[in-house]
Amino acid sequence: MLELRIEGLSKTYSNGVKALQDVSLTIPTGMFGLLGPNGAGKSTLMRTIATLQEADSGSIALGDIDVLREKDKVRRLLGYLPQEFGVYPRITAEAMLNHFAVLKGIVNAKERRDTVNALLQRTNLSDARKQNLSTFSGGMRQRFGIAQALLGNPKLIIVDEPTAGLDPEERVRFHNLLAEIGENVVVILSTHIVEDVSDLCSQMAIIAGGRVLMSGDPQAAVRELNGKVWRRVIGKHELEDFQRRYTVISTRLVGGRTVIHTVSDAQPDPTFEPINASLEDVYFHYSKRDSQAQAEAA
Amino acid sequence: MSWEILKFELRYHLRQPLFYILFLIFFFMTFGAVTSDAVQIGGALGNVNRNAPFVIMQLLLVMSTFGVLTTTAYVASAINRDFEYNTDSLFFSSPVKKSQYLFGRFTAAFIVSSLVYLGVVTAIMVGSFMPWLDKERLGPFALKPYVFSYFALILPNLFLFAAIFFAVAALTRSLMATYTSVAAFYVAYIVSRVTLRDLDSEKIGILLDPFGFSPFARTTRYWTVFEKNNNLLPLDGVFLGNRLLWIGVALVLLGLTFAFFKMEVGSGSRKKKKKAAAKEDVLVPAGVAIPRVAQHFGGMASVRQYFTTIRVETGAILKSLPFIVIMLLAVLNTVGGAVFAGPIFGTRFYPVTYEMLEVIEGNFFFFAVIIAAFYAGEIVWRERMLKLNEVTDTMPSPTWAIWAGKLTALCITLYFTLFAAVLTTIAVQAAKHYHHFELGLYFRGAFLILGMKLLLVTILMFIGQIITNNRYVGFLIALFYIVAQVVLDALHYQHHLYQVFVLPDTTYSDMNGYGHFARPFEWFSLYWTFFAAILLIIGHLFWVRGTETAMRIRTRVARGRLGIPAVTMLALFVIAFVSTGCYIFYNTNVLNHYTTDDQRDKRSAETEKLYKKYDRIPQPRITDVQANVDIYPNKRWVDIHGTYTLVNKTPQPISDLHVVMLPDVPFSVQIAGARLAKSDADHGYFIYHLAQPLAPGATIPMAFTVTIHHRGFENVSRDNTIVANGTFINNFATFPHLGYSPNVELQETPKRRKYGLAPVVRAAKIDDPKAQLDNGITRDADWINLDTTVSTSPDQIALAPGYLQKEWSANGRRYFRYKTTSPILGFFAYLSARYEVKRSTWKGIPIEIYYDPKHAYNVDRMIYGVQKSLDYFTANFSPYQHKQVRILEFPRYAQFAQSFPNTIPFSESIGFVADLRNKEDIDYVYYVTAHEVAHQWWAHQVIGADVQGGSMLAETLAQYSALMVMEKEYGRDKMRRFLKYELDRYLAGRGGELVAEMPVMLVENQGYIHYRKGSLVMYELRDEIGEDKVNVALRQLIHDHAFEQPPYATTRALIADFRAVTPPEKQSLITDLFETITLYDNKATAATVSKRADGKFVVTVTVESKKFRADDRGKETPTPVNDWVDIGVLGASKTKGNEPVLALEKHHLTTPKATFQMVVATKPDRAGIDPLNKLVDRNPDDNTRKVE
Repeated sequence: MLELRIEGLSKTYSNGVKALQDVSLTIPTGMFGLLGPNGAGKSTLMRTIATLQEADSGSIALGDIDVLREKDKVRRLLGYLPQEFGVYPRITAEAMLNHFAVLKGIVNAKERRDTVNALLQRTNLSDARKQNLSTFSGGMRQRFGIAQALLGNPKLIIVDEPTAGLDPEERVRFHNLLAEIGENVVVILSTHIVEDVSDLCSQMAIIAGGRVLMSGDPQAAVRELNGKVWRRVIGKHELEDFQRRYTVISTRLVGGRTVIHTVSDAQPDPTFEPINASLEDVYFHYSKRDSQAQAEAA
Repeated sequence: MSWEILKFELRYHLRQPLFYILFLIFFFMTFGAVTSDAVQIGGALGNVNRNAPFVIMQLLLVMSTFGVLTTTAYVASAINRDFEYNTDSLFFSSPVKKSQYLFGRFTAAFIVSSLVYLGVVTAIMVGSFMPWLDKERLGPFALKPYVFSYFALILPNLFLFAAIFFAVAALTRSLMATYTSVAAFYVAYIVSRVTLRDLDSEKIGILLDPFGFSPFARTTRYWTVFEKNNNLLPLDGVFLGNRLLWIGVALVLLGLTFAFFKMEVGSGSRKKKKKAAAKEDVLVPAGVAIPRVAQHFGGMASVRQYFTTIRVETGAILKSLPFIVIMLLAVLNTVGGAVFAGPIFGTRFYPVTYEMLEVIEGNFFFFAVIIAAFYAGEIVWRERMLKLNEVTDTMPSPTWAIWAGKLTALCITLYFTLFAAVLTTIAVQAAKHYHHFELGLYFRGAFLILGMKLLLVTILMFIGQIITNNRYVGFLIALFYIVAQVVLDALHYQHHLYQVFVLPDTTYSDMNGYGHFARPFEWFSLYWTFFAAILLIIGHLFWVRGTETAMRIRTRVARGRLGIPAVTMLALFVIAFVSTGCYIFYNTNVLNHYTTDDQRDKRSAETEKLYKKYDRIPQPRITDVQANVDIYPNKRWVDIHGTYTLVNKTPQPISDLHVVMLPDVPFSVQIAGARLAKSDADHGYFIYHLAQPLAPGATIPMAFTVTIHHRGFENVSRDNTIVANGTFINNFATFPHLGYSPNVELQETPKRRKYGLAPVVRAAKIDDPKAQLDNGITRDADWINLDTTVSTSPDQIALAPGYLQKEWSANGRRYFRYKTTSPILGFFAYLSARYEVKRSTWKGIPIEIYYDPKHAYNVDRMIYGVQKSLDYFTANFSPYQHKQVRILEFPRYAQFAQSFPNTIPFSESIGFVADLRNKEDIDYVYYVTAHEVAHQWWAHQVIGADVQGGSMLAETLAQYSALMVMEKEYGRDKMRRFLKYELDRYLAGRGGELVAEMPVMLVENQGYIHYRKGSLVMYELRDEIGEDKVNVALRQLIHDHAFEQPPYATTRALIADFRAVTPPEKQSLITDLFETITLYDNKATAATVSKRADGKFVVTVTVESKKFRADDRGKETPTPVNDWVDIGVLGASKTKGNEPVLALEKHHLTTPKATFQMVVATKPDRAGIDPLNKLVDRNPDDNTRKVE
């Protein structure tokens, strides 16, 4: 079984931004969710694994491959879908995918044709195969991106915010596809959408500010928090007061009214009602704890 | 709010590096042009002050053409910035009003574009204070010309460009469309200039010139040095109209932009995409298994990846809009060039292949370089611009396959453009019914030679993009490279070993092919190809793969890529580069002397300083020349063994013989009993001291050998006379001579000042008795007998003046012996080539044309020209002194025809490829032939003294003779068009005068005077006193001076002969035409017509006539009008210059203004004064006006 081990990875950009600070993670075969807010360092981490970026220190090993040095070997096993990507104008989906297939080393023409056909079909682009990529909608483009990432039976698949821009139905299809492929290979899914992780991933990590806040089994994390999450509906003007008094992990509007979640071992007061913890609460809980720690440290 | 936006925008633009880069480029380009002669913007300055108002205006005007691009960069950024950075929604949802947004940004872009041009202004100001400049060429500082040029020329232009491209940018919101429209604008401009040129009314063409070039060019066309130094363009008339028109157009465009611009997010094309997306299938597809595939890496797989990259990238360029647009423009420009190729007197060349190749180089290549520069940026940046780089960079293809694929794709595209260019010119050839398609030559000229140049430039641009890793800096590197080339040349760093990627020129000749130009081209190509390979390996090391762009990290990555294969290849290419460099150096600097222009100038100056003191010292004269000349065409060798017979024609004994020879030519001299008293090979000056002084009247033989052996190749081929096929040498350059020769002297005043030489004396004063003892051709001979044997390779015919005595073969070579039977001037030539010969006769005298079989088009025309010339000249001047006329073709490395006794070498490019199929065109082959045959009289019978006016006796009289021969054949109407060209060239020539304009009779070998003005004044003289009288005078001149011994004739004799045949009331004409510089400003101020009862038309015309005398700097003083001038009426005609003359009367004008009435039978079109432009008038077009 292939395993990706990241140890002590750090990266500081020339403008002083510390994108990764001593990140250590072990990512086993299967779906791995990387959860974090925008600017958390997810993309830096993924790009570093995908050979696009250099690290200042630390190491990454994919099986016995040193990812930071043996980039060519990594690329042979890699399927990568970046967060944002464009396409050549004036070229059809099929021709572009065919081109990518050659770049991926699929030089046998028949094999290439079969795999291109299969991927177009699985990403539901068969009918649009002769269509110019520039006319694709955001969703179609995203599906095309998935198709190219799956070329050549990759052993390590990295997908950065893949469901952004997909409608709910497409998202489901994409999840199914990933789940099917993810059984035997390492799939790293970076997202800020909690459901993506709870739906798909057997392992996860939350990162923020370039640091790993937690990593492990999402179900276990939820179980750990169960019985500690409380909910209350409050008036808009009360929010500040509540935030001062309780550990408010999330605030949201439900039907125009403000609903807050807090984490506490015991019921803070009777006006709070207990609720089942969700992965979202886990995420907010760790984020909150981290930002408090940062504030205290400062 | 508008003000806030403006301030914000200005601050934004001024913080960008682009502003400073543009400013500096403009500054240094201009600075270079102002402070050196090597950088030229808009033509050489000649004798005009470096900071003359004319120069300031011209520089700013020329530089403003770049404004189309710089201004567009700013206006396009003003609009597209938001869309590019997706900040459009931010801006459009904020409470900024459309007018504030648009005009704030427009104004800022316009202001910044204008500020860039302060770089040009300051460069001229600062440049004119540089200490190394010649103070004589600087006028006093004045602010007014700068202010005027900036506000009247630059700002309206920039405002217009800004408005046009702001409109395009705002309405299309596409950078691509905007830049495409820039290219379209340039081409539309060029095309419109070509189309409007022939328009009946030039005024419209001038008004419609958005750059303001035409009004400037038209007003200043014939400005003299004085005017250029002192005058500003008057802001009135058509010029003012032009400025107002285009400011108006700009305002209208701004209004339209405002009306149609929508403050909306996104663009129309995005909506279209949504539509296309609507037919997506939402069904979940069946779960087809993704097949397992075998992946291959390295080896053949990498090659496949290289090829797929080529295919995709080539497709991406070929299908992109700018490419298609630039190609269309390029093809259009090529068609224009090919259709109008090579006009002389308005007559074009046959579309021969080498001419077409030159059109491709001149009219197409520039576009190909633009494509290379633009798409080098595109192709290196494509993935990153499309945000696709993260996908492709993680694919397992090797780095080299990606960049090499891209570079190959770019090169394929460029070859495709060359192919398109070739097809275009072939189509033009076919359309012109020219069916001799030389595909092999096309292949060589377009694909091998131009292709190599393009390839190297492309690699440079490509590498520039990789290394700088910034598109715009990459483009600037390209620009800098082009500027650097010019600057290096200017600073006399001219060796192609360090002029990066600059290959030596190659000139193709039908006769000699690429000849001796091929080898240096090939070696330098190889040399720079190795250098390109080195650069590409470096490019490979620094190719950005991934998202790291910091140089620190790229260097680390590069070190990682520097494995054994890279090091090995690098080492191999460095070795190859250095060894080819050594071989080239051995050829250019060891086998040959490498000298730069300024080193040669310096040597000329030294020679003059050292030996001018010997100018015209008494020397014996050559009376007989016996020479064996052996030409080895393939080796490019010439061996000369000769003997002069020298006679002391002076009254004193001569003890020192001053022998001069071109420097660097190995030669030896044997004079019995002489001792070499001074030997200066560097300056080619040798003094032999005779043991026994040569007594007056005594004779002494002087034997000599000269060996000219070309070995290897030079950096720039300077000798194009000894070649494989088409050798043409004369004794000036290859034989030793006696006495100091002023031919070495530098002519240009600034250069002379630089080397501390006194102002040039171009000719001795007309009455200098010492100089009158020399003729204008050779100082060391009067009339000689020539007996010469010339040998060549067996496939060639060798020729020299004189008559063939004997022809034989020996030692595998072909020998010809030529001997003159009557004395000739001491100037003769040798030619050798694989000739075809066409023979004819005139009254028993053989006429022979030796030509290259590839172009026999005009051979019959030449024969006919010789016959008609002999007819006229023998009937009107004197008998022909020789028994034969030969015209001999030589390669187009030089473009002239030259008359030797019974022998006329004629350049391939002058007569042999002229396309005379259109009978309307001026038959200049006939004209040149007549001119050269006329020299058998004017030079070879009557030769002037070596003083002022000497070239009038030869050239002006040959012009007159040719005009008469031509007029007999083609009629007076055709002559009008010919003389129009002559007037134009004369007026333009005097504007470029370097020293001083002279009256015709004192001409100091100035072409624009002795040819161009010569034609005009002789024709006018003929018109006024009649052809018979002129010929009487010329016969008198021959009678008095033909074949005379020293002292030789001067123009005083000719003028006296003219005066003798001119009636007393017209004597002032001689003064006006020959003795002074006289100009007219004639114009028609009113012209009306009324129809009479009998159907005839009465034309009333009011005319003004002004007359000026100009000094040698062009300063004019009015002089009273007292002339017989044509007043005439013209009918309508489709082509300019062909209007039928309905009435033409000579009137004696004595007042500046006069009114005349004429009656004509057919409908008049125009009427006025001097309607046929016989007088020298700086504005000939206003002489007539449309009748009302």
